[in-house]
Amino acid sequence: MPLFGTLDVKSRLADAPLLERLDTEPWELPGAEVLHLLYEIDDAAMQTLLPPALHPTIPPTCHLVVTRVPESPAGPFVLAQTRVGCRAGAFQRGLVTRAFCDSPRAASELRHRFGFDVRPARVRLTPRYDRVEAEVALDGRRVLACELVDPLAIGQQDVRYVDVLNLARVVREGEERARLVQVDAVYAIHRADRGRPMLHAFEADAWRAEGLIPRWAVSGSFSRADLTLPRLRFLVDPLRPAFQATERV
Amino acid sequence: MKFGIFFELSVPRPWDDESEHRLYHESLEQVRLADELGFDYVWAVEHHFLEEYSHCSAPELFLTAAAMQTRRIRVGQGIAVCVPQINHPIRIAERAAVLDLLSHGRLDLGTGRSGTWTELGGFDADPDETKKTWDEFVRVIPRMWMEERFGHDGRSFRMPVRAVLPKPYQKPHPPLWVAVTSPGTEVDAAERGLGALGLSTGSLREYEGKIRTYKRLIRDCEPVGAFVNDQIATVNFLFCHEDEAEGVKTGQRLTGTFNYLASQLLSTREAFPTRSYPSLGLLPGPRAEAARRGDDGGPAESIAIGDPARVTRVLERWESTGIDLVNFLLNAAETVPQAQVLASLRLFAKEVMPRFRREAPSAAAGAR
Repeated sequence: MPLFGTLDVKSRLADAPLLERLDTEPWELPGAEVLHLLYEIDDAAMQTLLPPALHPTIPPTCHLVVTRVPESPAGPFVLAQTRVGCRAGAFQRGLVTRAFCDSPRAASELRHRFGFDVRPARVRLTPRYDRVEAEVALDGRRVLACELVDPLAIGQQDVRYVDVLNLARVVREGEERARLVQVDAVYAIHRADRGRPMLHAFEADAWRAEGLIPRWAVSGSFSRADLTLPRLRFLVDPLRPAFQATERV
Repeated sequence: MKFGIFFELSVPRPWDDESEHRLYHESLEQVRLADELGFDYVWAVEHHFLEEYSHCSAPELFLTAAAMQTRRIRVGQGIAVCVPQINHPIRIAERAAVLDLLSHGRLDLGTGRSGTWTELGGFDADPDETKKTWDEFVRVIPRMWMEERFGHDGRSFRMPVRAVLPKPYQKPHPPLWVAVTSPGTEVDAAERGLGALGLSTGSLREYEGKIRTYKRLIRDCEPVGAFVNDQIATVNFLFCHEDEAEGVKTGQRLTGTFNYLASQLLSTREAFPTRSYPSLGLLPGPRAEAARRGDDGGPAESIAIGDPARVTRVLERWESTGIDLVNFLLNAAETVPQAQVLASLRLFAKEVMPRFRREAPSAAAGAR
């Protein structure tokens, strides 16, 4: 049996997002720009960052994702996420350790509708012809600075994104419970580039990803897409193997 | 239709000092029995770093041991990874020739390029290049075997003229195959006169189309070797039991475990955006079929698990597609105890195999 996560879930719950309702309406986010960098990470943290429901990927990975959304029900925003690559049973997933957003209103909505652990910060995504730059600044510190260098066009169908899991508290049958909230974002990609990822700054603790060290650049892409955050469909009990503990909403 | 057994050599956690040792020797016991029972092939994969899923990084050594313990069964390297960071083509040619000599001419050499980032990344190989290097390797390896001295100045490697030694026992050389996982590789196989090993399409109907394409194109191929290896093989699971319900239940445990382990790995498609890898990882077709339900709610009609009658029906469907060879995965992560694996092989050989032996099994094309 593959390795399971060992994260102490209880320690994360006190300030985890609370979803009082799960029947949230989908969000249509046309014209989004998505920077996605994939790194292999130090194996010392591959289990400690994941709850017991999930398996680390082989090799262990993290996704650094910065999305600029020009139009949303909460107005424009830029969202940056760190995700740990994982498997829920046999399914490819990314567990969000934390996210930062430049719009307090969008941050609040993303937190309460979809379970993202979003904090306000200055988040910037800057596409140029020779590179795409992204930066997250928190209280004057750069907690993420990265680039996609020398982007070159590739096929739209060559880019794949995995579904996201957010650790949150949800109200089920009148009780507050810890759950991994699955967000199956849908991407209609209009244009995609691939380039060389470069990471200049990453402060793991700020992302609540203690011990996460991106060791080896795997790939980087930048796409323009119409993005949909759909109605929530699945929850997973973080303390039991996902193949036994996935619930339909 | 011919039958083979196919080894990934998966080792479940928790690992101890005996885990791999036990698995290798139990697998060799299965090979010996398969040889006695009349199976045509034993294949072993080449994989690297694939925790639990496959601990078979030196298939030519496993197959050498298999050849030394058997008399008739052909030994197939399925496959040698044709990526220069992983294998130099001279070393592939040399090692294959030695295995062919030691096995008295029983080698079939499969070729391929690896489907996971777990492997390609581990060797710092560029996924965009692997199809190109594979194409270069399959054109030079037969020449290394057949020409007394060989030199090359190509895309991925160069060498002054040297005698690549030893030469294989089979003349002009052992049959060549390519692993077919990505859509369109069956066309690559046919155009080069290579056997198509382990097509991973979804359903039997999809498979029929691929076989028609392969058989049509290979008639006009330009073979990379000295002869055309017009054979098409598929990979399936096998668990055969007197009781259908027990056979299906255990077989589904086997297929489910295999799928679960394969899913933990990082496919190249998932990790690295490239047109070069359109399919999702390892044996996606057989895995999808194993997970699919048949019309009756049981296992898919293409998966060879159950009692002899059911397994026969499944294989009759495969035979009707025009397939030449079915290779069976017998176990995954030791899910099925060794005694049951051996019993399943015996029952299959007794009750199922004779129904498909209308002609005496022919030696592979090109065999000495």
